Amino acid sequence: MSDTLTVTREEVSLDVPWNVIVHDDPVNLMGYVTLVLMKIFGYPESRATAMMMEVHKRGRSVVWTGEREKAEFYTQQLQAHQLKTSMEKSE
Amino acid sequence: MKVGPTLQGGLRIDVETPLDWMVLRCISYDARGGGLDLADRVSEAMGEDDSLADWEEYVLPELRDGFNGQLDAIEGALSIAGSGEEPAEIHIARDQADLWYGGLNQARLALEERYGFSTADPEEMTPGKRSAWFRSQFYLHVQSVLLEHVMR
Repeated sequence: MSDTLTVTREEVSLDVPWNVIVHDDPVNLMGYVTLVLMKIFGYPESRATAMMMEVHKRGRSVVWTGEREKAEFYTQQLQAHQLKTSMEKSE
Repeated sequence: MKVGPTLQGGLRIDVETPLDWMVLRCISYDARGGGLDLADRVSEAMGEDDSLADWEEYVLPELRDGFNGQLDAIEGALSIAGSGEEPAEIHIARDQADLWYGGLNQARLALEERYGFSTADPEEMTPGKRSAWFRSQFYLHVQSVLLEHVMR
């Protein structure tokens, strides 16, 4: 008598992650952008500063990636701090 | 006018002349006067995703309320501080710093949109534009002191 091994596969539809993007702006102070990233995401100053510098030099920086609902929350928080922010599906 | 941090962790503005009062009153005047919709501006990069209509319907009104609230708070603080002629002290407590910073930022944004200072030479400006540039520089200075000494 042989044992039968049954393998069950469950397909889980994983939502595509979303990027939250901060865009460059001629008015916002660099120190303020750093402070907002630290405050909203809890990033250490070194990481927040690196992201701010990317915004400043490249015009934009992906500051967070994850599920859509949280991405919307963070985008709203950043916009409320007057940072030009958008979100897009992560490729 | 003198602007400086206090031992309590806030900021004090000493208003000394009627001109100082006028400059402070210009914060909300500049911010509201340009017809700039800041909520639209900060979300203009959102693109054409289906959810944009929801964003416009649910998020933007909340952002507008928040931005108006910052200017209302500044106008309220000025109104409490004095009549607009006599010397006075305006105290910005630590928990009010975000509101003031945001209101000053709105004023600078509106002036930048209107005059495009970042590409202009102050020496070649018209008197009206130069006056706006000086206000913008003053707002920037107060923001810098807030950021350095109060908000961190």
